[in-house]
Amino acid sequence: MVSHPAGYAPDLEKYLKTLKGQQLDTSVESLISLLKRRQIKGSEPCAVATAHILLQVVARSKWHDVDGLIDNISRIGRRLVEAQPKELVIANIVRRVLGLIRDEAAEDRNEGASGTPSEAQMTPTDTVHPDPKWPTSTPTKQDSVIDQVPNSPKPVLQSRPTGLSSYSSVNVPKTLFHLLSVSGPNDAESVLHGSPFGNSGTSTPSWRGHSAQVHSLRSEVIDGIEEIKDEISQVDDQIAALAEVQIHPGDYVLIHQPSATVERFILRAALKRKFTVLIATEPPRKQSSEVQHTSFRKKLAAAGITVINIMNGGLMAYMSRVDKVIIGAHAVVANGGVVADAGAAAVARAAKEQGNAVIVLSGVYKLSPENPFNEESLIEWGDSSSFVGFEDGAMVSGVEIRTAITEIVPPELIDTYITNLGTHSSDHLSSLIADHYKQEDVDFHLWNEGER
Amino acid sequence: MSHKGNSKGKKSAKAGAESKSEDVLQAVVLADSFQDRYRPFTTEKPRCLLPLANTPLIEYTLEFLAMNGVNEVYIYCGAHTDQVEDYISRSRWSTASRTCPFSVLQFVRVSDARSVGDVLRDMDKRSLVDGDFILVHGDLVSNIMLDGALAAHRKRRETSAANIMTVVLRSGGQEEHRTKTNGITPIFVVDTKTQRCLHYDEMSPLNSDRYMSLDPAVVDELSTEFEIRSDLIDAQIDICTPEVLALWSESFDYELPRRNFLHGVLKDWELNGKMIYAEIFDEGYAARASNLQMYDAISRDVLSRWTYPFIPECNVVPKQTYQRNINGVVVEDGVFHANDAKISNSIIGRNSTIGSASKVSNSIIGRDCKIGANVVLEDCYIWSDATIEDGTRITRSIVADSSTIGKNSTIPTGTLISFGVQIGEGTLLSKNAIISPVTVDGSPVTPDTDLLGAATNAAPLANPEDEDEDDEDPAILQKSLIYSIAEFNISTSSVSTLSSEVSDDDYDQVAHSIDADASTRSRLSSFASDEAGEKLSFHNDAVHGLLDALRADSGDFDSAKLEFMGLRLANDASDSMMRRAVAVAFARRAAELLTPEYGPLEPSKAAEKALTASNGATKFVDEVGVGGGEPEQVEFILALQKGLLHAKGPEQSRVGILLAALLQQLYALDILEEEGILGWWGDERAADGEGMVTLKDKCRVLVEWLENAEEEDDEDDSDDE
Repeated sequence: MVSHPAGYAPDLEKYLKTLKGQQLDTSVESLISLLKRRQIKGSEPCAVATAHILLQVVARSKWHDVDGLIDNISRIGRRLVEAQPKELVIANIVRRVLGLIRDEAAEDRNEGASGTPSEAQMTPTDTVHPDPKWPTSTPTKQDSVIDQVPNSPKPVLQSRPTGLSSYSSVNVPKTLFHLLSVSGPNDAESVLHGSPFGNSGTSTPSWRGHSAQVHSLRSEVIDGIEEIKDEISQVDDQIAALAEVQIHPGDYVLIHQPSATVERFILRAALKRKFTVLIATEPPRKQSSEVQHTSFRKKLAAAGITVINIMNGGLMAYMSRVDKVIIGAHAVVANGGVVADAGAAAVARAAKEQGNAVIVLSGVYKLSPENPFNEESLIEWGDSSSFVGFEDGAMVSGVEIRTAITEIVPPELIDTYITNLGTHSSDHLSSLIADHYKQEDVDFHLWNEGER
Repeated sequence: MSHKGNSKGKKSAKAGAESKSEDVLQAVVLADSFQDRYRPFTTEKPRCLLPLANTPLIEYTLEFLAMNGVNEVYIYCGAHTDQVEDYISRSRWSTASRTCPFSVLQFVRVSDARSVGDVLRDMDKRSLVDGDFILVHGDLVSNIMLDGALAAHRKRRETSAANIMTVVLRSGGQEEHRTKTNGITPIFVVDTKTQRCLHYDEMSPLNSDRYMSLDPAVVDELSTEFEIRSDLIDAQIDICTPEVLALWSESFDYELPRRNFLHGVLKDWELNGKMIYAEIFDEGYAARASNLQMYDAISRDVLSRWTYPFIPECNVVPKQTYQRNINGVVVEDGVFHANDAKISNSIIGRNSTIGSASKVSNSIIGRDCKIGANVVLEDCYIWSDATIEDGTRITRSIVADSSTIGKNSTIPTGTLISFGVQIGEGTLLSKNAIISPVTVDGSPVTPDTDLLGAATNAAPLANPEDEDEDDEDPAILQKSLIYSIAEFNISTSSVSTLSSEVSDDDYDQVAHSIDADASTRSRLSSFASDEAGEKLSFHNDAVHGLLDALRADSGDFDSAKLEFMGLRLANDASDSMMRRAVAVAFARRAAELLTPEYGPLEPSKAAEKALTASNGATKFVDEVGVGGGEPEQVEFILALQKGLLHAKGPEQSRVGILLAALLQQLYALDILEEEGILGWWGDERAADGEGMVTLKDKCRVLVEWLENAEEEDDEDDSDDE
C-alpha cells in the first residue's frame, strides 16, 4: 500500500479532485455536507468551491433554455447558501453566475433581433489583446470565421477560454467590468471581431430550444465562470500590488490575525519598504512553545521587517504608535460593514479613537449586495473549545461559553477599502455592487425559500 | 480546443490513477450494544434511532465517519434491524440515493449474536473488512479528526504486524466531568513515550477494594515510563487491523470490547504478542451515549456547542432548518411561541408551539410538540409530537414521542415517559419513575388508572434491578437518567470504612455466598466473588464429571482424566482441591453402589467395584487423587470420609463399613500405605463431629489389623498377595 500523508478526511482539494468522476447530484450533496460540517470554510475556499460546482451545474445539468439554467443555478445555489448562510461569498458567486447567464441570454436575444448592440458588450476584453499575445488561439479564430457560416457560432465561442486564461493581471480589472462596461477605445477592434457574431446571430433565426444555441450559451457561461475562478485566484496578487502605495517607509502597521491576503499584502510591501509590523492575536488557550504565525514571521524577518506580536489585551497601549491598521475581510456588506475575524472591531475602534487609518483588504467577490437587517445573523458562532478546554469539567458544566468566529466592523470605523480593482471609499462600494450584480439577483438569499 | 481536451484527459487520468492507489477506509458500526440501559425506550425503538438534540444518534455516528473520509461502512443492528434499515434507506445515507458519501453501506445480520464478541467473530468469518478499519458504536457523538491517529496507526502497523489496534481517547481532566461515564471508570496504563497501552481495567464504586493489580511485567519488562490514567473519556473509537477480528475469533468467550477484549489481550501480551496503542486527544469531542446519563450529558454538550459542527444550528442533517436566535435559543422553521413565553438556551423543532407565560430553559423540544400555557420545562428532553398541557411542570426528564401529559401535572427529576403514554390531569409522579405502555418484553401493561388518570394506557414499570441476577455489575448504576449511588449505600466519604468492614469477613461470605444476603453481596468486590464461584463450580463440575465416568459401563477412564485435567487448568485449581474432588467422586460412587438403584452390593464389593471397574481409575486415584506422601494420603482419606458422610442413601453403619472397605481396597492396591491410614487415624480432624466419629469407629478393625501387620512385616507381604 502506498502511504498517504494527506489522510482520509475530505477537504477542498480532495473535493475538487472528485468533481470530474462523480455524478452532479453526488457532488452537490457532498459539497453541502462539507460546508455544513465546516470542512470547507473561509471565504476563499467557499468561493472557489461554489464556482466549481456551479460550473459543473452549467456543464452537466439538464436544461433546454435560459430559464431552465437560471432555475437550476438558483435551486442549487440556494441549497449551498442554506448550508452555510454565514458565508456571504457563496451567495455572491451564485449571483455573479446568474448575472452572467442573464447577460449572455440578453446578448443572444439581441443578436437575434439585431446584431449590433451586443457587440461591444460581448468582447471588450478579448479585443484588448493584440493577436500575437495568444498565438495558439489565433488559428482557431480564423478557422471559426470560416466555419461559422454554415454552422453555429460554437467554435468562436470555444476559443475564448484560451484567451481568457492567458490574461495577465494587468488586464483583469477590465475583465471584471466586462459584463457591463462598454469600452470606448476598443470599439473599432470589437466591431472587427464582432462581425462574425452578428452573422451567426442572423444565421439562426430562432435559438430557443435549438441545441446548438444551448450549446453556445453553455460554453459562454462556462467561460464566464472560469473567469470568475481566475479572478478569485488572482485577488491576493492584485491587492498586494497596491501595497507599496499604502505602506510607507517607517510606518507602524498593525494587522489583526493576518489572513493569506493580508500576509501577501505585507510581504509585497516589505520588498520595497522598511516598516514595522505589529501582529495582534488572540491569546492561545494552551501554553505552547509555538509562536503564532511563525512562518509569516520568518518570511518577514527574512525581508528585514521588525515584527512585534501583541495579544489583543495589550492593544490599546500600542495604538498610539501605530500608523495604519489592516484588516482582512471575510465579506463586505452593502453599507460598508465588514465581516472580519472576531476581535477586529475592537482593533478598528481603538484605531479610530487614535485617528489611525483603518484599511480593509477584500476581493471584489467578497462584496455582497446584501444589507443585513440583523447584524446578529451574520455572526458565526463557533466551537466552545476555542477558549475553554473540554477537560475542564467545572467550566463545561457551569459556564455558558459563546465563541464568535466573525464579527462586524461598522462602516464608520473604516477609512479605506482595497479590492483587486483598486482603492475605494465606502461611498464607492454601491457602484461596485451595481457593476457586479444584477438587480434581480440582489434579492437572492436564503429568505427567498418561503416564496418558492 | 485541442489544448483543452488534452488537459482534461490528463487530469482525469491522474485522478483515476490516484483513486486506484488510494486504499479505502472501512468502518464497522455496532448499532446494538446488547444492553438495556435505555429502557423503556429501546423496547420499541433501537437506541441508535433515538433522537439526541432532535437528531437520531446514528446520524452523528455516520457524519463522524463521513467527516473522516470513511468509504465503506458495515452496520450491525441486532434488535430492531428492520427499523434501522428502513430509516437508513430513506435517509441520505442510502447508497441508492447518490447523496451517500460512502461507496458501501451494508447491513450485517448475525442470527444468534448475544454479545459484541459474537458479532465481531462473525465479521471475521465473513472477511468483509480487509484493511484498516474504524470500529465504533452506533451511539457515538464525536468531531475528532482521526487523520493523525490513522497515520500514526498505519506507521506503527508497517513497522510491525504485532501493532494491531489504536484506541482513541479524549482526556477529561482530573476534576469531575459530566461527560465521563458514571459508575464505571476506565483505567488505562499507557507508556508515555511509545503510547503503547499496557494495561486496562475498570473500576466502579461498587468495588470494595479500590485497588488495581498491575502485572509486574509492566514495570519489569515493558516500560520504563508510563502513566496510569483514570481521567480519560473512552468513546470506544478503535482503529483496528483485521488481525483484531482474528483475535476475537481466537478468544471465543470474550464479549465486551473493553472489559474482556482489551483487558484480556493486554494481559496476555506474552501469549499473543500483540500490541495496542492509545491515542489521547486534547482537542475535539468524543463520547458515547451509552446510557441515559450519558445521553443527558451529551445533550448538554450539544446545547453548549462542544460537539460543533454537529449542533442543530449547522443543520447537518438534510431538511433541518435551525437558526440561532438570541438567548441561545435555536429554533427551526414554523416554531410559534407566545410573546410572554420565556425561553432560554433551548432547541425547538419544527412546527412546535409554546403557550403564553410558559418557561422553557435548557431543554430540547422535538418537532410538532404542543406546549400549553404556564408550563415550566427545565432541563427536559421532549421528543417529537408530544403534548404538554397547561400548567404542567417537568424537570429533567425524558418524554418520548406522541406522549400526552395532562394539565397541572408534576413530573419530577429523572422520570422516563415512553412512547405514546397518556397521562391524565393533575398527576403527581415520584422521582425516577418509568412510565411505559408496554412491559420489558413488549406486551401491554394493565393501565394504572389510580396514578395516571382514567384515560391512561400505561403504568409504572417495576424496577428492572429486581430481576437482575448480577448485582455486582456496575451497569446497574447506569440504568437511570440521574446518576446516584445513594441507594447502594455507598458514598465516596464512607468508602474507606466500608471496605475495612467488609474485608474481615470477606472470605467467609464468599464461602457461603450461595445463600448470602443479596445486599451484602452487592458490596463485595466482583473479583472475590468470582473466584469463590469459580472454585465451587470447579468442585461440582469435577465431581460430576468423574461420577459420570465411573457410572459409565464402557469403562474408559482416560477421557475423564483428560477432562478433569482440563478443568483443573481452566480453573487454576490447587492440588488439595483436586484431591478433594477425586475423593468425593469415588466416595459417592461407592455409596451409590450400596443403594438398591445401582446394586445393591455389599460394602466390600461396592468398594472394589468403585475403584477397579473402570480401566485406569485405579491409576488415576493413585496419581491424581493421592499422589504423595503421608500428609497427602491423610488428606485424601479425610476427604473420602467427608464425602461418605454427605453421601445420601444408605444408613450410616453400612457407610462406615464401606469406608473401611475402601481403605482396605486402596491399601491392597498399594495406593495408600499404612503410614497414611494410621496418620489419618491419629488425626483429630477425622473425629471432628458425630458423623465422622461413627464412620471412624467402623475402621477400627482395619486399623488394628494394620497395626499388627506392621509388627509382622512378612505376614503383611503375604497378605498382599
